[in-house]
Amino acid sequence: MAFYKTEKTRKMSNTKLLIAAILMLFVFQVSAKDYNISDFGAKADGITVNTRTIQRAIDYISEHEGGRLVFAPGNYVTGSIYVKSDVTLHLEYGATILGSTNPFDYVKDPKVKWMSMIFAINQENIGITGKGTINGRGFITANNMVNYIHRGIYKDDLKYDRPRETNRPENIYFRECTNVIITDITLRDPASWNQTYDQCKNLYVDGIYVDSKSYWNNDGIDIVDCDGVVLKNSYFDAADDVLCFKSHDANSICQNVVVENCVGRSSANGLKFGTVSRGGFRNFKIKNITIFDTFRSAITFAAVDGGLIENIEVDSVRSINTGNVIFLRIGDRWSKGKKPSMKNITISNVYAEVPIGKPDIGYNYEGPIEDNPRNISPASIVGLPGYRIENVKLKNIEIVYPGAGNPLYAYRGTSTEELDSIPEMRDRYPEFSQWKELPAWGFYVRHADGVEFENVKLVADKKDYRPSIVIDDVKGTTFKDVIFDEPESEGKEQIIHSRSSDVTIK
Amino acid sequence: MTKYKLFIFSLFFILTLNLSAKDYKASLFGVKSDGVTLNTGSIQYAIDYISENGGGRLIFYVGRYLTGSFYLKPNVTIQLEEGAVLVGFHSVYDYFKLNDTNALILADKAENIGITGKGVIEGNGKAVLKSIKEQIQKGYLEENETQAKPALIYFDGCKNVTLNGVIMRNACSDVQVYTGCSNLKINKITVKSSVLPESKGLVLSDCDGFSLSDSFFEASGEELSSAGNSKNVSVTNTINSKGNKLNATK
Repeated sequence: MAFYKTEKTRKMSNTKLLIAAILMLFVFQVSAKDYNISDFGAKADGITVNTRTIQRAIDYISEHEGGRLVFAPGNYVTGSIYVKSDVTLHLEYGATILGSTNPFDYVKDPKVKWMSMIFAINQENIGITGKGTINGRGFITANNMVNYIHRGIYKDDLKYDRPRETNRPENIYFRECTNVIITDITLRDPASWNQTYDQCKNLYVDGIYVDSKSYWNNDGIDIVDCDGVVLKNSYFDAADDVLCFKSHDANSICQNVVVENCVGRSSANGLKFGTVSRGGFRNFKIKNITIFDTFRSAITFAAVDGGLIENIEVDSVRSINTGNVIFLRIGDRWSKGKKPSMKNITISNVYAEVPIGKPDIGYNYEGPIEDNPRNISPASIVGLPGYRIENVKLKNIEIVYPGAGNPLYAYRGTSTEELDSIPEMRDRYPEFSQWKELPAWGFYVRHADGVEFENVKLVADKKDYRPSIVIDDVKGTTFKDVIFDEPESEGKEQIIHSRSSDVTIK
Repeated sequence: MTKYKLFIFSLFFILTLNLSAKDYKASLFGVKSDGVTLNTGSIQYAIDYISENGGGRLIFYVGRYLTGSFYLKPNVTIQLEEGAVLVGFHSVYDYFKLNDTNALILADKAENIGITGKGVIEGNGKAVLKSIKEQIQKGYLEENETQAKPALIYFDGCKNVTLNGVIMRNACSDVQVYTGCSNLKINKITVKSSVLPESKGLVLSDCDGFSLSDSFFEASGEELSSAGNSKNVSVTNTINSKGNKLNATK
């Protein structure tokens, strides 16, 4: 089930290759034995809760050399089940696994302390495949839970008038699993985050469709402290962050990740590192992603809990109707003495359009309107005085802003005093809008070393009172072929730098 | 004691009694009476909750309550009002085992537990047996029929157990199995379990203090069966379907 070909294969003779191929085929057939869930007595009537039957089927298959548990078309209701080693749940087109709407049909796993419909803990060679659907029916389940909390029979402090994320079931929660394959499935409407893969090795996600905006905190996908991840050809529409990488464990790291050909829509962020970022993120190649109708940033990299972010390549991004395009941030929130860092970030081939209005208007669970008098915020790269962002390359980028910044509505000038009036906000939850008004309409960079702008075009549809780019306390900045297109701005100084050294404009 | 002290003491006693005898309607926990919804998760949550909060009665009013196996916990009584039917789920996989015995209602070393009221525990034995046979034939159930068949009630090592008034029907296996229990009081129950063969009415093993009174047994197997040594056993005013008086066998 490993998906890395070894070099040895190429050196083998044809005969050996043939034998190997036959052997592989044989092995594949043995491991891919199919079992029909209906043979275990599960009912696809959309009413019967099949939890125990599905669990028994999984256990049986896992104990008998593995195989696929096949769900034929129909609606299978279930509460919490645990996938075991060598078992793949295969959902045929037309098969739907429906989450029970009764919160008491779910387990809060004692190890991970979350609720989920489909768990896997410490298993290997597992998967969920096929063109079928997993539908958590989370809106009903979450509201049922609210009801039980009000009755006093379930303990929860109802912060923000909703149960904690851990007291609502996700669709999928896999922890410490090796060789995980998730392909082709549709995931709908969890009551909490949608799918978490935490400390997994060799995770392969291909061709999934996610519609996840039935309740608060509905993320698209959460990949936490995983090593060896391929995520491609997938579509996400989520109330919270969509392509979300996290690091919960200060001694772990999320690394060696490829993301390709993904489309996302969110009432929070598109591609996000964090917010929980204790260990960090390393060696990512992200290519060809489209983010649209998204409330916050298309790209957010947050190192705010002591973790590192390094060697990240983002290539080919379309960001249409998103509140912000790029937000790189070092903070010092839950660092506990660890030093957060961010370096070697390349973002290239980006076309982006930022709207004047709310980009996620009309979607379920819209992002919150903030008490935030500010004109349209620029893309921003913001470190802290002691923790500087290093080596950021921005190449072939075009961002179309609405402009129209009105100094009577919100104002931030570019004098030293005015720049110093922007608070550091070391321990604040990172959002592109956290500083309210920023002094630029295109890019704002602070506390960074080595920032390269190459072939960057910044367009403002209407005249803005601010310059396009402000850099403050930045060592080594290169502007090569940077073009500004703003009406009524002839002779306007579009690049303002303050307390910065080695500024080169070519 | 002075009168004053006695008053305080009795007040305290009443208060404590009240706390421990709290009644909970099943619907509070989302239990559905439609005969279709599988209520196992809610019933188990309710029992755990009541047990952890000072004990009390979980009350089922008229309706059909579909469920798989659940455990009774200390200080919890299931109250089945007239017309309330606890219906055993048809699938064998929804039954749990305690000490190799499958049963619908289980209790493991629990004190002060009971099942009371004029309602019914319906074993749905035929449907369960069908599921067992099917799964054995397909090879997915790797035990024999006898091992797989669930009883209605299996209590092990429990103390202060009360059964009062309830009707028990159509067990897949034996109706009631009690092992190692003490102070077990069964009164005015009706057992009707003769649809499937070899269904014993009551199996008693190594219990200390057992009284059965004013009850009716119709079973395909032995009405009363004793498997081990039990002490202080009394059976009074209890008959089988032929009108024969049942006695304490050993």
